Amino acid sequence: MKIYIGGLYSGTSPQPGIGLSRSLRTAYPGAYLIGVEYSNRSSGIHWPGFDDIWLQRPWEELDLSTYARSITALLDDGALWIPGTDLEALWLASVFPSGHPSLLSPPHVALNRTSKPEVAAHVGLPVDIPPYISTDEPDWDLHAFCRKHNWRVWLKGPYYEAYRVQSWDSLERVRAGLSRLWHTQRLFIQSHVSGYEESVMLCAYNGELLDAVSMRKRELTEEGKTWAGDVTPLTDDFAAPLREIIRALNWTGGAELEMVRDSQGKRWLLEWNPRFPAWMHGATLAGFNLPALLVESATGIPAEITKVTSEEFTRVVLEIPLRDGYPLPPLPEPYSGSFGHSLKHPSGMPTLAGRLHTLDQEMNQRQSPSLGRPSQKGTSANGRGNLVPTSFLNDLSTQDLNNLDTPSFVFLESTAALLFEKASAFAAAVTTSEQQILNAYSIKTNPDARLLKLALKAGFLAEAISLLEVQKAIEIGWRPENIILNGPGKWWPQGLLPDASLHAIFCDSMADLTRVTTAAEDGRLHAKVFGVRLRLPTSSRFGISIEGPDGLHALVDSIAKFPKDSLFGVHFHMASSSVGVGQWWHLYESMLRWSSSLERLSGRRIDVLDIGGGWFPDDWDSVREPEFMEALKRAKPFLPNVSEVISEPGKAMAQPSMALAMRVLEVQKMTDAPTEAVVDGSIAELPMYFFYPHRILHHNSQTGDLKPIRRGTTRLMGRLCMEHDEVASGVELPEGTRAGDMLIFCDAGGYDRSMSYLFGRG
Amino acid sequence: MVVGFEGNTSDAAASIAYWEGFPVSTISDHGEQCCRIAREWFIGTDFSQLGTGDLRSGPRWLRKKFKWGPSRWPLYWCEAGKEKTLDCGALAALSHQLLLGRGVSSYPAQLILKFNDVSASHWKATWREAGSSSAWIHDGMIYHEGCAVEEESGGIKIWDATATWWINPKQFHGYAGLLALRLYAPSPTTFTWGEERFAANTWHTLKLHRCTSALPRARREEELPVPTAAGNALENTMMINEHGSY
Repeated sequence: MKIYIGGLYSGTSPQPGIGLSRSLRTAYPGAYLIGVEYSNRSSGIHWPGFDDIWLQRPWEELDLSTYARSITALLDDGALWIPGTDLEALWLASVFPSGHPSLLSPPHVALNRTSKPEVAAHVGLPVDIPPYISTDEPDWDLHAFCRKHNWRVWLKGPYYEAYRVQSWDSLERVRAGLSRLWHTQRLFIQSHVSGYEESVMLCAYNGELLDAVSMRKRELTEEGKTWAGDVTPLTDDFAAPLREIIRALNWTGGAELEMVRDSQGKRWLLEWNPRFPAWMHGATLAGFNLPALLVESATGIPAEITKVTSEEFTRVVLEIPLRDGYPLPPLPEPYSGSFGHSLKHPSGMPTLAGRLHTLDQEMNQRQSPSLGRPSQKGTSANGRGNLVPTSFLNDLSTQDLNNLDTPSFVFLESTAALLFEKASAFAAAVTTSEQQILNAYSIKTNPDARLLKLALKAGFLAEAISLLEVQKAIEIGWRPENIILNGPGKWWPQGLLPDASLHAIFCDSMADLTRVTTAAEDGRLHAKVFGVRLRLPTSSRFGISIEGPDGLHALVDSIAKFPKDSLFGVHFHMASSSVGVGQWWHLYESMLRWSSSLERLSGRRIDVLDIGGGWFPDDWDSVREPEFMEALKRAKPFLPNVSEVISEPGKAMAQPSMALAMRVLEVQKMTDAPTEAVVDGSIAELPMYFFYPHRILHHNSQTGDLKPIRRGTTRLMGRLCMEHDEVASGVELPEGTRAGDMLIFCDAGGYDRSMSYLFGRG
Repeated sequence: MVVGFEGNTSDAAASIAYWEGFPVSTISDHGEQCCRIAREWFIGTDFSQLGTGDLRSGPRWLRKKFKWGPSRWPLYWCEAGKEKTLDCGALAALSHQLLLGRGVSSYPAQLILKFNDVSASHWKATWREAGSSSAWIHDGMIYHEGCAVEEESGGIKIWDATATWWINPKQFHGYAGLLALRLYAPSPTTFTWGEERFAANTWHTLKLHRCTSALPRARREEELPVPTAAGNALENTMMINEHGSY
């Protein structure tokens, strides 16, 4: 019996070849085992369990047609072949779409049904698929997905590799790297599931499930790979539907279903790998020799019985002598300034991926048919992200864009007005006789007088973080009694504090609290509401720390110093756009619990709750009505005496209200690299480029048409002589775009505007 | 699959007799503002630290704040927050209170584990040096505490607040093996933990499995499409000797 075994890489993310040789040797001591590899850097070629090694040239050199003919001849001759990598299995499926009796690997159609992230074949198994979204979707939707999942997300390659991304700029960076490596833009983002990792390994022949086992990872490498585990038989609730699925797929070969079990015991399927896992020999030690069962079924030659030695296994690191005739190759010289020598993908696996795309155009669909359409479970609605709200277009149509100096911000007046009107109407609608709901506008998000006037007109309070902002609010027309003063530097600069009573003052530290209560006691400071901002453990740099019981004790004692004839309030602001919507709600409830403790321990009633901060406009839109009501409802049992709730949506009011217009200065098309265009805007006008994507419109100066720009491969570089001045990457400029054309970056009315700075203008 | 099975009665019985009268650890309360504030702080911090995690997840943050080591007893809420080091009883008692604070059903758990002589004598010396009692170490066994959390399924899982892991309900003979446990419940009840079922408020001796054996696994013939050959199978260790060169 001659068996060819692939996947001999044996680094910290090993392939199954060595395990296969050990398990098969147990069952077939006399079998002739030949290891197949594509690089002499794969240390598994030296494993003594192989009788011979068939070392091919790396995938980037291999003539696939010639190689396919060689394998066909071997299989026709009766040799068995067990692939050890996903890509080898994919390629073999393209060579043998209906399989081959000696090829112990799944057919083409089965791979189609098990590709990630959708894993269409999973239906019926007691698992769910974590929410995901294809990077084919507009960036606007990708950002929404990440916010929705609290930035606990993974960016995953089409076959291998996954990177945790926690911010927009890291997502952009990883996406560019993975796309380059795997020769595809088709990546996906998947929500993280916290829990314990476990797998199901199976083997099947011609659609008959031969056996399957469960394995729980008991030790993991830094990359999350198995280092130790325990193996048990598969329970019937899993095995029964799996048997049906395997039959429907007509599966042949090994497979591994990788899962995470969350704290409620629910299993989430991450991947269905079309090959045996590298830990498979651990199952053999537990008496489950699945490779032997597979060979037994394929050949009819009985395997020797595998004894149970341990149902728990671990890995160790071993030094072994080299196989005669395969000396170590020299290490490539490191690039100047780089560190170390990577052993990753020594066989040229990424090149194989690229070649498969070229060889078989269908492969794009096969690798993940689910990636070509919007996610069922993500936030995406088909193409929604490319759609710019009609009010933006209406506002832009009133501008003389052809004669606009660029770069410049364009105020979207009716868009802004509508935002304030809606917020005002909402506050009025939810106000009751027991509880008044007030809106507040955060001046720092954009102190443009037009926005401030709209806020004032809509009945907003003004929220200031400095006395300069207080003065600005007064200039616009706010009375001091409608101004909230907040933040760590609110008394700066000295001498600008109005004599009249403010609406609210929230203390940001114990020192601030002492200053405020002393000034109030002396009659130098007046406000309707005095209160505190709490710094919840692990959440923020702002607010009064309650890191230890002593901190809480000091705060409880100090609350008694606030004027008795004023109301007492708690202020909670957290940027939901950076912590994620779910985490914001958790922190909100956490704040309610702390506030309830404060009320109970200090005996001081909490009358006012100031909540909000940093909402992404879309999140605020979706939250405003049902969830704000939910927020009020949740607060009731914790703080039953609150008579005033101040809602401060932060940048949600300002961000949509302005766009940044810039012009193309130069377009450089290159044959072997992405197109590059230079614009007269820059990160000096768009400093939030690193934090979230902006929807971009192309203005046709001839027709006046405004068209959304889609994803592509063009880089838009700013005018500054700064390496990091890139205002967009991976966009598709319309055909014929040339110097002088205008691009309009929407969603630039918040911190883009207020934090923009003068640079490179002489 | 059971890979060997070994009774556990003799080791466990002596230890149970030794620790029969040991009360489960509890955090004391002065009934004053000092303990009220500390208790509110622990429960508030626990909820903040939970993030978007599940209410039934273990309060791991306690072990980030407190090193494991001898505690002073009795331990009051207001003292616990000031400590740098807490023993397993204190960590378990706090965890139990935090889980109750989340609205989760939790039960104090007393555990008897087997370690080796080296570990036992090392711990004895450490506790002696700290002037604390080492009554929790006896004859190669140790007394330990955790807490059991009721799952939605009706079963329980047991949190080791010191090691910050969920204890495996399937126990193996050997180092750090759990021999017996006693869960406290206010009223008589029966707990299901993996394949173990036992009553509250009384010691339960666990089945211990052997993690190594050399038995052929009973094959599920009905699942196999071809007959199995009998033969002289080589153990895997033998395979390495035969085919390996190290």
